[in-house]
Amino acid sequence: MTRGATAPPARALAGDATEADRATVARRTSVYVYEVPVRLWHWINAAAIIVLCVTGYLIGSPPPTMIIAEATHQFVFGYIRFAHFAAAMIMTVGFFGRIYWAFVGNHHSKQMFMLPVWKRSWWAEVWHEVKWYAFLERTPKKYVGHNPLAQIAMFFFMTVGMTFMIVTGFALYAEGAGAGTVLHTIAAPFLAWIGNSQVLHSIHHLGMWFIVIFMMIHIYAAIREDIMSRQSMVSTMISGTRTFKDDRPD
Amino acid sequence: MVVQTPNGFDLDTAGRRIVVDPVTRIEGHMRCEVNVDENGVIRNAVSTGTMWRGLEVILKGRDPRDAWAFTERICGVCTGVHALASVRAVEDALGIQIPENANSIRNIMELNLQIHDHIVHFYHLHALDWVNPINALRADPKATSELQQTVSPSHPLSSPGYFRDVQNRLKKFVESGQLGLFKNGYWDNPAYKLPPEADLMATTHYLEALDLQKEIVKIHTIFGGKNPHPNWLVGGVPCPINVHGDGAVGAINMERLNMVSSIIDKCIEFNNNVYIPDVIAIAGFYKSWLYGGGLASRFALAYGDVPETGNNFDAANMNMVRGAVINGDLSTVHDVDVRDPEQIQEFVDHSWYEYGEKGRGLHPWDGETTPHFELGPNLKGTPTNIKEIDENAKYSWIKAPRWRGHAMEVGPLARYTVAYASGHEDVVNQVDGLLRTMDLPTEALFSTLGRTAARALESEWAGRMQKHFFDKLVTNIKNGDESTANIEKWDPSTWPKEAKGVGIAEAPRGALGHWIKIKDGRIENYQCIVPTTWNGTPRDSKGNIGAFEASLLNTPMERPDEPVEILRTLHSFDPCLACSTH
Amino acid sequence: MDQIETFYDVMRRQGITRRSFMKYCSLTAAALGLGPSFVPKIAHAMETKPRTPVIWVHGLECTCCSESFIRSAHPLAKDVVLSMISLDYDDTLMAAAGHAAEAAMADTIERYKGEYILAVEGNPPLAEDGMFCITGGKPFVEKLRYAAKDAKAIISWGACASYGCVQAAKPNPTQATPVHKVITDKPIIKVPGCPPIAEVMTGVITYMLTFDRMPELDRQGRPKMFYSQRIHDKCYRRPHFDAGQFVESWDDDNARKGYCLYKMGCKGPTTYNACSTVRWNEGVSFPIQSGHGCIGCSEDGFWDHGSFYDRVTDLTQFGVEANADKVGFAAAGVVGGGIALHAAVSALKSAQVKSQSKPTVQNEEA
Ligand code: HEM
Ligand code: HEM
Ligand code: NFV
Ligand code: SF4
Ligand code: SF4
Ligand code: F3S
Ligand SMILES: [Mg+2]
Repeated sequence: MTRGATAPPARALAGDATEADRATVARRTSVYVYEVPVRLWHWINAAAIIVLCVTGYLIGSPPPTMIIAEATHQFVFGYIRFAHFAAAMIMTVGFFGRIYWAFVGNHHSKQMFMLPVWKRSWWAEVWHEVKWYAFLERTPKKYVGHNPLAQIAMFFFMTVGMTFMIVTGFALYAEGAGAGTVLHTIAAPFLAWIGNSQVLHSIHHLGMWFIVIFMMIHIYAAIREDIMSRQSMVSTMISGTRTFKDDRPD
Repeated sequence: MVVQTPNGFDLDTAGRRIVVDPVTRIEGHMRCEVNVDENGVIRNAVSTGTMWRGLEVILKGRDPRDAWAFTERICGVCTGVHALASVRAVEDALGIQIPENANSIRNIMELNLQIHDHIVHFYHLHALDWVNPINALRADPKATSELQQTVSPSHPLSSPGYFRDVQNRLKKFVESGQLGLFKNGYWDNPAYKLPPEADLMATTHYLEALDLQKEIVKIHTIFGGKNPHPNWLVGGVPCPINVHGDGAVGAINMERLNMVSSIIDKCIEFNNNVYIPDVIAIAGFYKSWLYGGGLASRFALAYGDVPETGNNFDAANMNMVRGAVINGDLSTVHDVDVRDPEQIQEFVDHSWYEYGEKGRGLHPWDGETTPHFELGPNLKGTPTNIKEIDENAKYSWIKAPRWRGHAMEVGPLARYTVAYASGHEDVVNQVDGLLRTMDLPTEALFSTLGRTAARALESEWAGRMQKHFFDKLVTNIKNGDESTANIEKWDPSTWPKEAKGVGIAEAPRGALGHWIKIKDGRIENYQCIVPTTWNGTPRDSKGNIGAFEASLLNTPMERPDEPVEILRTLHSFDPCLACSTH
Repeated sequence: MDQIETFYDVMRRQGITRRSFMKYCSLTAAALGLGPSFVPKIAHAMETKPRTPVIWVHGLECTCCSESFIRSAHPLAKDVVLSMISLDYDDTLMAAAGHAAEAAMADTIERYKGEYILAVEGNPPLAEDGMFCITGGKPFVEKLRYAAKDAKAIISWGACASYGCVQAAKPNPTQATPVHKVITDKPIIKVPGCPPIAEVMTGVITYMLTFDRMPELDRQGRPKMFYSQRIHDKCYRRPHFDAGQFVESWDDDNARKGYCLYKMGCKGPTTYNACSTVRWNEGVSFPIQSGHGCIGCSEDGFWDHGSFYDRVTDLTQFGVEANADKVGFAAAGVVGGGIALHAAVSALKSAQVKSQSKPTVQNEEA
C-alpha cells in the first residue's frame, strides 16, 4: 500500500465516490449502491442472456432430429428460436430501461455507459486494479460502484456488446419479418451494408462468444472480489447495499 | 518463307494477315489470325485464348468437397462435366466407392449434357456457318415441306402451313429492319450453298431446337436441382431415392423417374427425326467442302468415359473408348494413362504463364499456374491494343498440353476416330452407315464436316446410352438398392494426411482431366486440362501446332474479309474458351 | 412499316387487350400532364416504336447466364429475341464475327443513343491493365465503358456482373470487379444468381418492356419482385425446419423423406432468390427439392464463407479458417484456463497474506 491511513480521505477513496459516500464509508460499513431497478434488471438481463446463449448456440447447431408429432405441430426448433426471440425482446427492452435508469437513477447507474477516460485519477486506479489482479498489489481498494476494470469490462462487453447483439440480432430478425415490414425498413441500410446475410449470422454468432467470455470473467471476478476484496459483491447485487469489511477510509 | 512444323504442317506468314476478334458463336473469348496467300488460301493460323480467371489458383487451400462447385463454374455451357471430373478426382484421392445408383444417375446426367450441348452447338452456334436465314425468305413452303418429309418422314412438324408460319414470322422480323442476332451477317457470301428450302427448314429447326433444349436439361433439374450448374456430391449424388416408402414425394420417386424417362424419349426422337437428318441434308450440299481436317486423322486422344460400374475407370469398363492414335496410324491404338508423368505434360513457352525454366513440361499433379502476360517483339499495336499478335513469343492464355510430346485433337471426332480404330462395334456401324448414306469415303470423316457429323452420331448414341442407364437404375431399385451416397469418408477426419487423385471425363468437347493433391484436408494443388486446352493449344517450343491452327491451314476463303470459312472450321470444334484457360 | 413488331405488339403478346392498351396510354398522358388529345399520339408512338435494342457483352464468365436465358419457358427465349427485343450484339449467339460484329455494336450505339439496354454477363478484370480479358485486341473493360456510355440502363446478369462471382473469390487473381464498381453513372439492375433463373431474367426484361419503367430495386440494386425474400421464407421444407427435423447425413432416412437440409449447410436462410417459388427449368425442381442445400449462389461473395456444407461457416472475411464456434470454444478455453490459474494463485496468495499478516490484522482489529 502506497497511501497510509494518514492520507486525506477525500482524495484517497477511489472510484466515483461522492463526498457523502466518503463520509459514509469512513463512518459505516454499508452503503446503498444498486437501486431496485438496477438489481432487477441485472438478474433479468443475466437470465435472458443465458437463454440467448443456449438457444443461440442451438440455432447454430440444432439438437438431433426428433420425431414426436406431425411436423407442423412438433415445432421443436421453432420453440428454440421462439425462446431466443422472446429472450431477445426481454433483453432489449431491459437494456432500454437500463439506459433510462442511467438518467434518473443514482450516479452509480451511469458508470456502465461512460468511461471517464479524461480523468487522470481514473487511469491511475485502472493501473492500480491491474496490479491488484496481477498480484502486484497486496491490498485492493474500496469502491462503492464498479472497480475501474469492471467498469471497462461492463462498458465493452455489455454496453457495446449488447448493442452489437441487438443491432445484428434485430437485423437478422428483420430478414425473417420480411421486406416491407417496419423493422425491415429500419434494418435495410444495415443489411445492404453487410451484403451477404451469412456474414451477419457469423458476426452475431461470434458476438455470443464475446459475451460468454465476459460472463466467465465477470462471475469469477465477482466471487473472487467477494472473498478477497474489502467489500461485498454478490450480495450487493441482491440487496443493493455494499458492505465494507473494514473502516479504513480508502 | 515456308516453315515445316515437326508435326507435319507447312506454315507461311508471307501473305496478308487477317484478324478475327472476337470470334463469335463460341463460349468465351478468342482471337484468330491467319495469313492468306494471293489466292485467298490460309497458309498460317494463330489462335489465341484471350481470357483467364485463375480457378486453379483460387482452389488452393479450399475444402476438396467444395471443389466441384468452383470447377463447375469453369463453364456454364458444358455445365456439370467439370463438377463430375472434380468429384471423381476427390473420390479417387480418398478411395471412395460410389453406389451403383449414383453411377447410373451421373452417367445419365453426363450423357444428357452431351446431347444438350451437341444440339445447342449444332443449331445455335454452328448452323449459321452453313445456313442462311435471310435466304430462307425466298423458299417455297410447300417445297420445304416436301424436303422435310423426304429427309425425315417421321418428323411431325412438316406441313406447308407450318413452314409458311415460320417464314412469315421471319419475314416480319427481317422487314422490321432490326436484324438482331443476324445483323451484319455474311448473307451474300457465296460460301453459303443451301437452296432456300433447306435454309428455311434449318432455320425452323433452329427455333425448334431452341424450344427443345430447355426440355432436355430437365433431367439435370430433377437429379441436380437446376440447370445450368446442377448440384453434385463427393461420394455419390445429392438426390436421395425413395420409390416405395414413406415420404417418397421428398425424393426421386416414380413421378420423377417417369419424367426422366419421357425426356430421354424426347432426346432420342429429336436426334433421329431432326438432328441426324439435318446434318445429312446440310452436309449433302457441302460435300465438296472437305477442309478442316488438321490433326484429326493424325493425332487423336480420348480418355474414355461412361463407366458401366461406378469408380472403375479401367478401359474395359468404359462405354466410351480410351486410347490415342498418333502419326496417322489408325491400325494401332495406344494405351493412355493419365497418371503417368511421361504421358501428359503441359508447357507454357507460348502461353502467358511462367515456369521459371524454358521448355519445361509439367505433369498436372505437379502443375503450376503463374500468370505472366508478355507480348513478343513483332507485335503490331500496343500492349493494350493488339493489332497483330506475335506468335513466336507468348501469345495465348491457353497452356499447351501434350501427350508423349504430341499435340492432340480431342472431342467427338477424336473419340470416334479412336473408337473406330479400336473396332468399337456400335461406332463402326454408325460411321459406316453414315458414310454409305452420304456416299463418302472414310477420309471424308477427317474434316470440318466430319467433326460436325461425329457430334451428331454421338448425340444419337448418347440417347440410347441414357436409356441403358435409366433401365439399369430402375432395375437396381427394383432389386432393393435405393442408396445414392457413400458417406464413410465424408468427414475430413477420416482422410489421410496427404492424398492425390485424378478425375477424368469425356466432356462434350473432348477429354477432360482434373488432378488434385490434398493435404491436411485442404486442396494443396488443383490442375485441370480441358478439351479446349488440347484443341486450342498454342505452339510448343519445338514448333508443333495444335488442332485449331492445323485445321485452318490450306482452306480457301471466298472473301478473305468475311471469315465464314474460319468460323466454320473453328466452330466445328465447338471451342470453349472459359474452359480452355479456366 | 406495319410489318414491324412494335411495342404494342409486345403488349398484345403479353395478353394486354386493345382496351387496356388505350387505357395505359391515357394514364401515361395523364402522368405526363398532357391532355386527352395526346392519347392517340402516345398510342401511335407506342404502336410504331421499334423493339428495344439490347447489347449483351461478356467479360470474365462461364456463359451459364446466357445458357440459363435460353432456357426460358415463359416467355420462350425465341419470342424474346424475335419479338420483344432486338438483340443487336451478343458474342455468344450473333452471326457476325470480328470487325463485322464490332460494327454491329457501334451502329446500334450510334443509332439508339440513350435508348438501348446494355446487358452485362461476367465482369471486367482490372489487373494486368485489363488484359486478363481481351476482346478486339483490347481490355474488356474498355468495351464495357464504351457500351455503357450511351446506354439507357444496364442489367448486370448473374453473380459475376453483380458481385464478382467465382473469379473474384479469394485471392481474386485477376482483380475481377463487378460492373457497378466500374460504371458508376448509370442505373444498374443486378440480377444475381449463378446463374439467375431463366424466367427471372426474361421476367426482368419483359417487365421493363411491358410497363416501360425500371423495376423497383432494393438497396443492393436487385429487382424487389424476385429478390426480396429468402429461399428459406418460401421453402416447402420449412415445416421440417420448424419441427427440428433435419437431414443428419447424406442419403439417410430423413433425406429420403425430404427433411430440412439446414444441417447439411443449406444457405436458404441467408439467400435472397426466387428458387423456392419460381423454381428452375419451368418449375421442375430447385436445388433443395433435389436434395442438396442451397449454396447461396445469388449472394455477394458466397464462395468465401468456408465449406458449402457448414451451417456455422468459417470467418474467412476476417481471414480466419475456422468458424465462430471453434474460435469461441478456443477463446473460452483460454479464458477458462486463465481463470483457473488466477483462482489458484489467488487462493495461494490469500493464504500467504493471512499467515504473514495475522498479527497485524489482529492488531488493527483490536
Ligand atoms: C446476448 C445476446 C444474444 C446472443 C448470445 C445470441 C446468440 C445467437 C446465436 C449464437 C445465433 C446463431 C447464429 C448462427 O449461427 O446462425 C443467433 C441467431 C439469431 N439471433 Fe441471436 N443472440 C443474441 C441476441 C439477439 C437479439 C437481441 C436478437 C433480436 C431479435 C437476436 C435474434 C437472432 C436471430 C433472428 C437469429 C437467427 C435465427 C435463425 O436464423 O433462425 N439475437 N443468436
Ligand atoms: C451468478 C451470476 C452473477 C453474479 C454473482 C453477478 C454479480 C454481479 C455483481 C456483484 C455486480 C456488481 C459489480 C460491481 O459492483 O462492480 C454485477 C454487475 C453487473 N453484472 Fe453481474 N453477476 C452475475 C451474472 C451476470 C450475467 C450473466 C451478466 C450478463 C451477461 C451480468 C451482467 C452484469 C452487468 C451488466 C453488471 C453491471 C450492472 C450495472 O452497473 O448496472 N451479470 N454482477
Ligand atoms: N472445353 C471444354 Fe468444356 C466441354 N465440353 C469442358 O470440360 O466447354 Ni465449356
Ligand atoms: S454468374 Fe455464375 S453462372 Fe453466371 S457467368 Fe458467372 S460463374 Fe457463370
Ligand atoms: S431446406 Fe434450407 S431453405 Fe429449406 S427450410 Fe431447410 S434450411 Fe430453410
Ligand atoms: S444455390 Fe442458387 S439456385 Fe437457388 S436455391 Fe440457392 S440460390
Ligand atoms: Mg489447367
